[in-house]
Amino acid sequence: MREFRVNRGGTAAVEPTVVTALWSGLGLFRPIAWLYAVYSAYVRHQDIARPWLAWVVLGVLGAWTLGMVLYRTRNTWVVGIELALACVAIMSTRLVDTAEVIAGGAKTLPGFWPAAAVLAWAVLKGWRGGMLAAFCVGVADLLEVGVPNENTINNIVILVLLGGCIGYCANLSRDGHAALSEALRVQAEVRERDRLARTVHDGVLQTLSYIHRRGLDMGGESRELGSMAADQERLLRALVSSVSAPDLDAVVGGDVDLRTLLGRYAEGAVNVIPPAEPVLVARRVADELAAAVSAALDNVRRHAGAEAQAWVLIEERGEDVTVTIRDNGVGVPAGRLAEAAASGRMGVANSIRRRMSDLGGTSIIDSRPGAGTCLELTVSKKQLSS
Amino acid sequence: MTTPEEVSEDVLDETTVSVVVADDHPMWRDAVARDLTDAGFNVVATADDGHSAVNRTLATRPDVLVLDLNLPGLRGDQVCAAIVTAQIPTRVLILSASAEQRDVLEAVKVGATGYLLKSAGREEFLDAVRATARGKPVFTPGLAGLVLGEFRRLAAEPRRKDGREVPELTGREIEVLKLVATGMSYKQIGAHLFISHRTVQNHVQNTLNKLQLHNRIELVRFAIAKGLDTPT
Repeated sequence: MREFRVNRGGTAAVEPTVVTALWSGLGLFRPIAWLYAVYSAYVRHQDIARPWLAWVVLGVLGAWTLGMVLYRTRNTWVVGIELALACVAIMSTRLVDTAEVIAGGAKTLPGFWPAAAVLAWAVLKGWRGGMLAAFCVGVADLLEVGVPNENTINNIVILVLLGGCIGYCANLSRDGHAALSEALRVQAEVRERDRLARTVHDGVLQTLSYIHRRGLDMGGESRELGSMAADQERLLRALVSSVSAPDLDAVVGGDVDLRTLLGRYAEGAVNVIPPAEPVLVARRVADELAAAVSAALDNVRRHAGAEAQAWVLIEERGEDVTVTIRDNGVGVPAGRLAEAAASGRMGVANSIRRRMSDLGGTSIIDSRPGAGTCLELTVSKKQLSS
Repeated sequence: MTTPEEVSEDVLDETTVSVVVADDHPMWRDAVARDLTDAGFNVVATADDGHSAVNRTLATRPDVLVLDLNLPGLRGDQVCAAIVTAQIPTRVLILSASAEQRDVLEAVKVGATGYLLKSAGREEFLDAVRATARGKPVFTPGLAGLVLGEFRRLAAEPRRKDGREVPELTGREIEVLKLVATGMSYKQIGAHLFISHRTVQNHVQNTLNKLQLHNRIELVRFAIAKGLDTPT
């Protein structure tokens, strides 16, 4: 069986199985509806005012029906022409039949063939398209009959429901397909990253750390080259560090591995110390913690002195997570903290404290001259409803 | 003032410390071996895969095995396990370029007593080998974080039905580990907590012992459960 080519929004896309099946079903429906229309016209050909026109119209519909079997591309143009043909065919009933016959509740010339156009719109454009096409056919029906009878209304309602339901089904199927493709893509990415990580680990990382080490030994300019190599080594390692199954679960569940998020802050003077297992926290908690850590590290850079190192320790404690940021900088003399807080000059500490208390967490700050500053943030892993 | 013990440490003779270096990267292996030789250590063998690392260590029974975690043939924790099971006096120092926290933790649980990133400087590395030779754990902040994380994980596990004991750290041990994990030296921690740096060292050693003991008990339980202890 040949594939239907579908052109939606300018890009050719691979369609999900359900949608392809709907197109196939529609391909079968159209000839049957046409044969039924021809049969209906033949049965009552003696009542028809202009039989020649009836055969011309049915001939055109027949040619289109045959064309749709052979021509497999479905795009806005194709379904648009089909809808126009359906409406014109319905309207032509006014010329084909006498006013009395129409008023007597006779069927329209194309019978239920126009439903094919509605279904085509629904499958191609979703429920909105389906309902729009049903609306157009409905208007044509009303114009044709003049005074609507019970059958007219009945048919229109069925068409609208059909267009809406089939369209919704096509939408759902496409969304599911998109989600599946995304999952497969992520999986392939993870596999590729694993492969890259192994390759890079064996060669490039080892060489970079070697350059770093020798550079430190040789001193002078080599020292600078060495630390550049160390920076690249760390970036590269963060880049290729493998994504594991819990990470994928986290993507699905909306949680974030705090190790990955805070790991980005690691650089020459900043050491991030994670546990061995992923620390999964709600997205909002993770973002607030990251913002707090970032602010604290900025503060270290500004105030702790050029030689200061910082450590960021991540601990999972049951339902809570604790992040400790310590530096070995100049520290703050006892009393200065309280004094600064009293005079409202504790911008950074305050913003961090506010972030934590908004999440129902706590922050403890401790500093002594010469011993650096230690900031401990504790917060529930799951976001508390406020 | 120095205690007699400190004096004996300070005069530790490097030529009596024998070392095996296991790394699959020739450049690294040679550089590490050369650094050790230059510093006066006695490098008795080198190995480039897991199996030869085990065989050569068992044959030469060095004081220290400097082990890269990503050797072909055997995983790092398997190499450590093989050496610990053989009950030779060799201590294992992991020197790894790997950021794989889990691998490091596994190796430490089965008996490695130190962990150093390859990006560490030469002096830091030589100090680590000296400490390992003396039987002292080499606790980088990274390793302290991993050990602390493992105890936190064990504590958070639901109580087991069979009433098995989960090892717990004392409040002081947790405090010390946290300070090590946030970059403090033993001396700084001692000053901070008003205890001697030797006491700090003991606390750190205890945490490692508890973890390794727990792991050994778990292995024995596993062996008994599988009927591996009964000779067939």
